[in-house]
Amino acid sequence: MRCRAELYRTNSASIDTAIAWAASALVLLLLSNAYPLVALQLNGSVRATTLVGAAIGLYNQGYAPVAALVLVTTLLVPLFQISGLLYVLVPLRANRRAPGQNELFRALTHLRPWAMSEVFMLGALVALVKLSALAEVIPGVSLFSYGALMLALSALTSVTPTEQFWRWVDGGGQ
Amino acid sequence: MSTYVMGRTVGLLVCTHCHATVRAIQSSHALCPRCGARVHERRPHSLSATAALVLSAAALYVPANLLPVMHMHTFFSEEDDTIMSGVLSLIQEGSWPLALLVFVASIVVPLLKLIAMGWLLISVARRSPGHALQKSRLFRLVEFVGRWSMLDVYAIALLVSLVQIRSLATIQVGLGALCFGAVVVLTMLAAQSFDERLLWDTHSDD
Repeated sequence: MRCRAELYRTNSASIDTAIAWAASALVLLLLSNAYPLVALQLNGSVRATTLVGAAIGLYNQGYAPVAALVLVTTLLVPLFQISGLLYVLVPLRANRRAPGQNELFRALTHLRPWAMSEVFMLGALVALVKLSALAEVIPGVSLFSYGALMLALSALTSVTPTEQFWRWVDGGGQ
Repeated sequence: MSTYVMGRTVGLLVCTHCHATVRAIQSSHALCPRCGARVHERRPHSLSATAALVLSAAALYVPANLLPVMHMHTFFSEEDDTIMSGVLSLIQEGSWPLALLVFVASIVVPLLKLIAMGWLLISVARRSPGHALQKSRLFRLVEFVGRWSMLDVYAIALLVSLVQIRSLATIQVGLGALCFGAVVVLTMLAAQSFDERLLWDTHSDD
């Protein structure tokens, strides 16, 4: 009130909505990593890369910290966020508490700024534009599924604000 | 007439994690009864931790912008790209909206974050009152935009792994990319370790 920040936000979204968004985000995340992001065609030779492939490329050039940063922020943190939320929300829906629920949800809240799917999408766009000057660029399946993942993740974040979660806990999954 | 009271003057603390209100007890590590997080009146060492992170980030900001972030080797040419030259080459290709985006995300935002955090730290350390609302808004802006600076790191990662066509074109990562990634991570950590409530401790109603 004094500093004019939003104190908290709750909404009418039910715990089922949150579980549904988490499940679809999980599927999209797996899909995004199973298929190549982009392929590059130059003089008849084609080269494709996946998200993990991009991290491996950095690692191979001796930049392990940068590789780890990319891998953690685009794959591991989103994966942990989605599966962690499912782990606490599904039992909560049946009015049960998953073991370690409080510690896990605290960790999830701290990690939230480190999931950077939407930033990655823009970075990919920049890379594609730079490459299109050099060779023919073929967008891959996972570029689109990654875009959908970005939307699913932001929907998931907006239906599970911290305050809402603790209300679900206090109210037994209602 | 003030419409709010400070929790610490009436013996109440707020859990920074789940926002439950907790009765203050005389103990250095109280735990929130709802979520089990540690509750502090003010986060300990917030100022020195944030200052250390901001200073390290500021030191790395220089090599991050001066050293090449990647080295491109093609059949026809060889060139070193710094962050700024990457922006310029985007302009030359005619995609100035993207050039503007990269310029803001990679050069302006980190610099503004460093200046803003430095100002906030100094004003808390000197206990200077005033502008608490503006400072608070500035801090929230810094917290919000910080992650967008990672954009260039991702672009470099993709370029490096895609452009590996031997004898035709290869791209190598440069040391600048490492410094740049470190700046982004350090400034994000600095924003996380800063206790925003410090901004209001010297505030008086005006």
